[in-house]
Amino acid sequence: MPLEFLQNLAEINLVGTLTLLSLLIGGIIMAGGLITAKIVKLLFNKYYAPTLPKDTAQNLGKLIYFGIIIISFLAFTSSQGIDLSGIMVAGGIFAVVIGFATQSVVSNLISGIFLIIEKPAKHGDTIQLPDMGISGTLLDIGTFSSRVRKFDGTVIRIPNEKFFTANIRSLTVSTVRRAEAMVGISYSDDIENAIFAIKNEIKVSMPFVLLIPEPEFRVEELGDSSVNIQVLVWHPRDDWSQAQPILLTAIKRALDKAGIEIPFPQRVIWDPKN
Amino acid sequence: MSENMENTFSNYGVYDVDDALELVLPDTEIKIERVGDNAFSYFRKNSDGEIIEKMIPVKSEKIKIELAPIRPLNHPARRTNYVFLKFDKEIYLSSNSAASIFVHCPIEIGIFLINGSDRESLDWITCDSLNSRFGLYGSPDTGTLCKYAEVTLATDMTDSIPYVEGVMKIILENNLDSGQTVSKVIFPITDNSLYYENSKVILDGLRVTLRKRAVVSIADVKSESVDTDWTKSPTWEDTTASTSMEMGLE
Repeated sequence: MPLEFLQNLAEINLVGTLTLLSLLIGGIIMAGGLITAKIVKLLFNKYYAPTLPKDTAQNLGKLIYFGIIIISFLAFTSSQGIDLSGIMVAGGIFAVVIGFATQSVVSNLISGIFLIIEKPAKHGDTIQLPDMGISGTLLDIGTFSSRVRKFDGTVIRIPNEKFFTANIRSLTVSTVRRAEAMVGISYSDDIENAIFAIKNEIKVSMPFVLLIPEPEFRVEELGDSSVNIQVLVWHPRDDWSQAQPILLTAIKRALDKAGIEIPFPQRVIWDPKN
Repeated sequence: MSENMENTFSNYGVYDVDDALELVLPDTEIKIERVGDNAFSYFRKNSDGEIIEKMIPVKSEKIKIELAPIRPLNHPARRTNYVFLKFDKEIYLSSNSAASIFVHCPIEIGIFLINGSDRESLDWITCDSLNSRFGLYGSPDTGTLCKYAEVTLATDMTDSIPYVEGVMKIILENNLDSGQTVSKVIFPITDNSLYYENSKVILDGLRVTLRKRAVVSIADVKSESVDTDWTKSPTWEDTTASTSMEMGLE
């Protein structure tokens, strides 16, 4: 009975040599391909992806999924007796036209591949793109674009082409980072006293500042109104918020306690008549 | 810390809490009180004015608390498993010689809730927050972040500074053909257990071997268990760090 049914289907011609039976077989091949692709991707995500970097796992997963679907599609077309050589010729011309029209898309795709190979930053790294004025956490490097979560909580999508050609400053590669601040003290105050007071205050009130390497103090400039001292302190890389934003506060507190003046900009006007 | 002051503070050990318990440590007060048939409250205030309050729902009539020394890795935040001890005096070792020294090593204090045979961490404190700081061994890009402490040499294993520093025995071996000066030791402290008696603390020791590897002189640092009948402190932190440390010689 089922055999007869299939024979009936084989006798129903749709277009040219395309019968209802061959279409059914093609449908089964495609459905099988889709199901296989989903199962393989699921198994990949469950067992293999956790051992890979997140970006690589994501892109390899897509490659496997779409690879199986393309193979299924080729099997489907050959099962239908469709000759792809004509399409190939037309496809060649079509590809040139599409190539011109989608230059940026292809460029982003290629850049994405190179980003995955080069790995200038990985998922979760805190990065800065100085040319674009973007700082934040790298969420992923996708096929065409990369996503960065900025410190204000918003997510920005950057086309891979721009990301690849941009200067990328990684803020999480080193074990420690340095915070800096500049302060001016009055010419009448003693520099050594000021440095001692600041050093002491940093030690007492900034627990995330490293004792080794020691905080560094440089008399940077004998300015118009003040002696400018640069203060450089090291902190664990993840504790920027416990160092840089409060460094100036600690310096101000230290100088206030020590009675050292932070002078306002001032100008001496000399009157030749007097 | 004078002997009198030391006596006013609570010793390490296990405490039964029926209704209320007050623990007094330098610059720190801890209060545990019953607030209902099946609940206790936990209150802690330290020298910085920081206050921690917790509720402890329980099934039994009373609870047991253990006050014990722990590794100095948690203040101001848990960032590393390594400790960098800088000696106040350098130790000179002649070629092919060995020596044993006792050094003070900073500690923190853990408050554990005893649940059957398990010790669950309820809170931790440091009685020396001003000297609980980080240091870097090596360069900023490849160096090792450590808890840093400038320490003095101790006279013997019982010479610990209550609530602040324990004592650790370090065996120094110089297998090199020239004399060497040792001024610091860097090691993963997660391999070192702590032991307490009253307010005194000792830690598992270290064996530091200065030796040649190819053309480079290195200091090989390994943990060594101490043989003692003092009470072993509960382990709290992860112990996934490497089991040894190699320092370069300067």
